[in-house]
Amino acid sequence: MEATTETLQRTEALLEPWRERMQTPEPDRIYLSIGPDELLDVVRTLHDARWGYLSTISGIDPSAEDSEMEVLYHFCSGPIVVTLRVALSREHPTTPSVCSIIPSASIQERELIEMLGIDVVNTPDQSLLYLPDDWPEDLYPLRRDFDPAEIAKREPRKHSKAHTDSDKFVVPIGPQHPALKEPAHFEFTLDGEIVTGASVRLGYAHRGIERATQNMNWTQNLYLLERVCGICSHIHAEAYCLGVEHLAGVEVPARARVIREIVAGLERIHSHLLWFGVAAHEAGFDTLFMYSWRDRETVLDLLEGISGNRINYSINVLGGVKYDITPELTEKIYKGIEFLDERVRHYLNVSTKDTMFLQRTRGIGVMTKEQAEALGALGPTARASGVLRDIRVDAPYGAYLDFPVEPVVETAGDLEARFIVRLEEILSTVVMIREMLDKLPEGELTTRMPRRVKAGETISRVEAPRGELFYYIRSAGGETPERIKIRTPTILNLGTVIVSAVGHQFADMPMILAGVDPCFSCNDRAVEVRSAGSDPEPWSWEKLRQYGIEHYR
Amino acid sequence: MNTILSLGAILLFPSGLFLLFNGIVYEWIDKKILARQQNRMGPRWFQPLADVTKLMVKEEIVPAGVNATLFNLLPIFALAGPLTAALYMPVGGIRPLLSFKGDLIVTVYLLSVLTIATGLAGANTASRFSLLGATRTLTQLFSYEAPFMLALLGPAIAAGSWQIAEINDYAGNHLLLLREPIGFVIAIIGLAGKLELPPFDAPEAETEIVAGAMTEYGGRGLALFHLGRSAELVLGLTLIASFYLGGVASPLAYLLKTLALLLGLAGFQALMTRLRIDQTVGLWWRYGSLIVLVQWLALFVLDMSRGGGIFS
Repeated sequence: MEATTETLQRTEALLEPWRERMQTPEPDRIYLSIGPDELLDVVRTLHDARWGYLSTISGIDPSAEDSEMEVLYHFCSGPIVVTLRVALSREHPTTPSVCSIIPSASIQERELIEMLGIDVVNTPDQSLLYLPDDWPEDLYPLRRDFDPAEIAKREPRKHSKAHTDSDKFVVPIGPQHPALKEPAHFEFTLDGEIVTGASVRLGYAHRGIERATQNMNWTQNLYLLERVCGICSHIHAEAYCLGVEHLAGVEVPARARVIREIVAGLERIHSHLLWFGVAAHEAGFDTLFMYSWRDRETVLDLLEGISGNRINYSINVLGGVKYDITPELTEKIYKGIEFLDERVRHYLNVSTKDTMFLQRTRGIGVMTKEQAEALGALGPTARASGVLRDIRVDAPYGAYLDFPVEPVVETAGDLEARFIVRLEEILSTVVMIREMLDKLPEGELTTRMPRRVKAGETISRVEAPRGELFYYIRSAGGETPERIKIRTPTILNLGTVIVSAVGHQFADMPMILAGVDPCFSCNDRAVEVRSAGSDPEPWSWEKLRQYGIEHYR
Repeated sequence: MNTILSLGAILLFPSGLFLLFNGIVYEWIDKKILARQQNRMGPRWFQPLADVTKLMVKEEIVPAGVNATLFNLLPIFALAGPLTAALYMPVGGIRPLLSFKGDLIVTVYLLSVLTIATGLAGANTASRFSLLGATRTLTQLFSYEAPFMLALLGPAIAAGSWQIAEINDYAGNHLLLLREPIGFVIAIIGLAGKLELPPFDAPEAETEIVAGAMTEYGGRGLALFHLGRSAELVLGLTLIASFYLGGVASPLAYLLKTLALLLGLAGFQALMTRLRIDQTVGLWWRYGSLIVLVQWLALFVLDMSRGGGIFS
């Protein structure tokens, strides 16, 4: 705690010139209201002092009547979040690009441009990130006055994609490729077998979730947000619940808090084992892939035992959890994690001793500590490069306040280090789950939750298996949220791939890509449903729902 | 030799149907063993046969931007190479049908036709994956062809002949595995490289370049390449068994010895991580080639000191 106070004092000293516009709504949050012309000064001050990292940029369009829009730049350092609030006019929203200081902000600025129509001056790349290539100009899905019916009425955008560099040998990977079973499109420029350039295009599974949250009530959103990701469904719901409970001022019972983290721990094991198998497969070591996925079944069975579901466990409700962990289940979990512990020790042995395997991991895709810090790498990717960024340690939440986490940090920064970090994390999670089960507090599972949530805004940060998951939640006091911004860890980690790809062998690309454990489902959250047939109308919620009912009848 | 017998040799035995069927069965055994080692069930016995049959009846699509003649001819060459080579080999434990002084050299060349056809097939199309696969296939050709050849030369020197039938007879009385263990290991590695089996499967690494040179092939063309690969597997095993494992003088010896080798080959595949193409090349030219040369020289000196040998 002293360290926190110290950081807080240091931060306030740093931001001294803007003191009168500083607000501290909560002990570890600092809001700073500035104009767009001051933005670069503040960012440079924070950056030059090596203060934290730019975690998220989120834009808000509060209402169509209001003349102002807002862009929030969230910087995080340990438990402290500094939010720069930049107010923009709705007529001509213009803000300078921070890419000259923080190059990795490019990808989030692209999102700002296409979703809210904010003019980001001097940003290096203005091409579409998520939206389809033929998305009409001047139509911004996260603006309040956006009407989906407009999509079909407007003129489609002209494809501007230029393939003029015919001399270059470009190899596409995705959206349909055996290496990536997830929809993203990478283009690697090759010189022989050496990669000389890389670019990324996302959005093939954009489902409009951020927008959809604004039309649903607080409870419905829980089920929607669980479906952001197919691997870490629990952590999304948890981040959302923690945020909303905090806004509503609801205290969750102790037993529910611990059960949430037990499930989060099992999810982490499941996610890391899944990654381990995929990474082995990318390296062409299918035997390891088959065995690790067989063992992963154990943890899926445990999750099924708790909730009845293997992937979308849906254990959270606002104000607590749905399912209890009974003594019989406890026995099963003890046995299951015991077995996994033994297996993971074996895999750790394989990944650090097998000469053939090490040829594909040791010294490959190295990211130095400086690079990891500058690019804003998160989670195991950062921890493998010696950067300790773990929200469970930096800003403990829920049950982690009572059960401190021992972070795993490696310094090599290569693929081998990422293997070690993730496997060691499974081992430490096993220890943690055992401890939580031993000391599982008695009591209620849920507490009463109001239907309406008090007006206000909050930031909810949790440690997903892939790194910091950031939720920004704003309520206007009604039954539906005003804005929910989700920033998944992959979006920051992906930036590290593009940078570290250059200069490597093409054969290492699938491994380097897999090295950050990308999750594209998490990234792509908004869609337009433009039907392939004769019906040019976008489907409404009622129509989709009706279609679903008919389909399963 | 009269025409009917020649036709029989080409169409039924040792080349033709027998070899194809043998290849398909061995491919299944390889797949099944590999699967069981990887904790999978593996395919049922007719799976490779079903694959080939199905591919044969499928439509063959000639992609845009290729030389259609070459595209259609290359699969035929790829199968014709191994089928011709079979005539000079003790397939099934029966004495080779054709034999002349120096047929070992011709056979080794015939066995390379498949690889060259694969490389050309990849280079013929405009697909990025095929082009990369073709480059890798041809690069790999240079890194395993030499070891495979040198590994076969060892027994040839010992037997004092360049004729497969004679070396087979000589090996029947001398277990060369014990005298030239390095050569044996190199031969197995060379064969895995030739057949693009793990860990030498960089030319068709699916997580990088989909199916490598074969990406654009479907239908009959793919089936022929596939059959060529299976036939080559049988021939490679036969060659190693007859040279190193005491010759194949009877059908039973043939069956036992090639199956034993196949078992080893499958285990080898399950244990290894794929090597990058630069690592494949490096492995051979940095270490493998030197070891074989040392063994080769040792044999030569031994041979000279005994006053006999290949050059006398």
